[in-house]
Amino acid sequence: MSRRLFSSDSVYLAVVLLPIILLIALFIYYPAVDTFGQSLTNRNLRIRRPPKPVGLANYVKLVEDDEFREVTGRSFKVVIITLPLEMAVAFGIAMLLNQRFPGRGVVRTLTFLPWMLPGVVNGFLWGWLLNGEYGALNGFLYQLGLIQEYQYWLREPEHLIFWVTVVQTWTRYAFPTIILLAGLQSIPDDLYDAAKVDGASAIGRVRFITIPLLLPSFGIALVVEFIAAFQIFDVIWTLTAGGSAGGGMNPFTKTLMLYNYELVFRDLRVGLGAALSYIILLMSLAVGLIFVMRVYNQGVQEQ
Amino acid sequence: MTLGLRGQERLRLAVIYILCAVVLIWALAPIYWVAVSSISTRQELYARPYKIWFPSQPTLESYQTIFTQGAKFRSGGFSPTAHLMGTGLRNSIIISVASAGIVTLMATGAGYAFARMEFRGKNPLFLLIMLMIPLPIWVSLIALYFLMAQLDLLDTLVGLILIFVTLLLPLSVWLMTTFVRDIPSEIQDAARVDGADRWRLVYSIVLPLARPGMVAVFLVSMLSTWNNFLIPKIFTKTDDSQPMTVVLTLFIGQYEVAWEDMSAAAVVTMLPPFLMALFFQRYLVRGLTMGAVK
Repeated sequence: MSRRLFSSDSVYLAVVLLPIILLIALFIYYPAVDTFGQSLTNRNLRIRRPPKPVGLANYVKLVEDDEFREVTGRSFKVVIITLPLEMAVAFGIAMLLNQRFPGRGVVRTLTFLPWMLPGVVNGFLWGWLLNGEYGALNGFLYQLGLIQEYQYWLREPEHLIFWVTVVQTWTRYAFPTIILLAGLQSIPDDLYDAAKVDGASAIGRVRFITIPLLLPSFGIALVVEFIAAFQIFDVIWTLTAGGSAGGGMNPFTKTLMLYNYELVFRDLRVGLGAALSYIILLMSLAVGLIFVMRVYNQGVQEQ
Repeated sequence: MTLGLRGQERLRLAVIYILCAVVLIWALAPIYWVAVSSISTRQELYARPYKIWFPSQPTLESYQTIFTQGAKFRSGGFSPTAHLMGTGLRNSIIISVASAGIVTLMATGAGYAFARMEFRGKNPLFLLIMLMIPLPIWVSLIALYFLMAQLDLLDTLVGLILIFVTLLLPLSVWLMTTFVRDIPSEIQDAARVDGADRWRLVYSIVLPLARPGMVAVFLVSMLSTWNNFLIPKIFTKTDDSQPMTVVLTLFIGQYEVAWEDMSAAAVVTMLPPFLMALFFQRYLVRGLTMGAVK
């Protein structure tokens, strides 16, 4: 009898699904709701007072705040430089790896390596590479005679964002490459043959066959990479943030995620930070949606 | 146009290999340089202009230093970090192996349920789990921090494992559901007619056939846990639970610490993912891209 009970389907379902439901409810959905609740209060752990409800004041305060606008602008700047850079690199490498040649498997494995390394390591690697006193980039360029003296690549504030996007590209380009490669492999060879017969040049074939047919792949890659670049954190932490234990954060590379971390876990302004996290959520969703719709519409029009 | 067919093919390959060299330099140069730095002597590494692209006397001294004395300051002293490497490695291994193991088991059981069973609330539940994937976790993290504090799970390995398992669940459940769905159902139906219950069915028929899927889920989960920085950054305070990614940033945070030592720490931090990416890339690419594309 007991064996019968134990083997019934509902017991199986309860055993495998309940822990999952419990974990997700307790660790994801409940805190998400709670965070929203806190975003409506002026909770600040530095000040000893019970938090009071303040309505949407935190949201209003953020939107009117100069630092918030500056940080948001910087995040979008990172996205706007990173995405084209990344897509260009990925498209080039995908075209190359789509060729048939001996050793392609090995090249592909090695090419995708950076994507699988920890982001904090990648930031460190490049910080050391670009180091002004002993960095390898200086040594390399100096040896080639391209620079007369060592450059401090990471000194000028206005250059920092550029290097952040380079390192982000280096960290992430493997993913769009894989997506584009899959797209390339699904384009039938007859299309190219037919275009060849019609006298289309190699560039023309790329322009009028490859790129239009790859648009859906580009769309997927763009959405995923937008989210990755918009929520950049690890790479900046070790590249330029100077995230030392008690020290300040480099203000010139402070993006939304770093700002949010600072608000909540350094300044302990929980209510304000909670509001910021919801603003970031809304911005990610909105931009993601716009991306998807534009790319989708374009794809429909091209056909 | 005087080139023969063979000549043309040779030219094509030559161009391809030159381009491959460029791509590989871009992909591997930073990794090569940090590996070289970690086995260089200080004199060679700090030579200006730098021109030694492989150390003339490779040495493992930096590794010995960071594991036994802590990183060297430039002025000669040592930072009090000797045990951090040991605890960091231990914590990273425990967290990533445990999280990956637990999530693989849970996802296999649930994957079978979603793929092969009918029950009330199945679709809404699946949707609720999958909805987590596009959601930025940050909105949960803030309140989760205070929840973990109340549960006394801050700065503990158990707390970290619980969080990682939860965050890894959606992708893993989704991967296992598709894997189980791809197993021909005739075999299972036959076993069911023979009177096998769900547990027997999953254990003796689904498990062996779903093994490639489970390996992929395990490897992807282990890699993402090992590489993660934000979660342990928020939820750990001391060497009781700080994994390698956090330990590395503690080294970097102390200016004046020697670059050859930091390079050694960076190599230690990236070695497991590096090896996994070399030897199991097929699994990883499959799991990671499926998760993002859906």
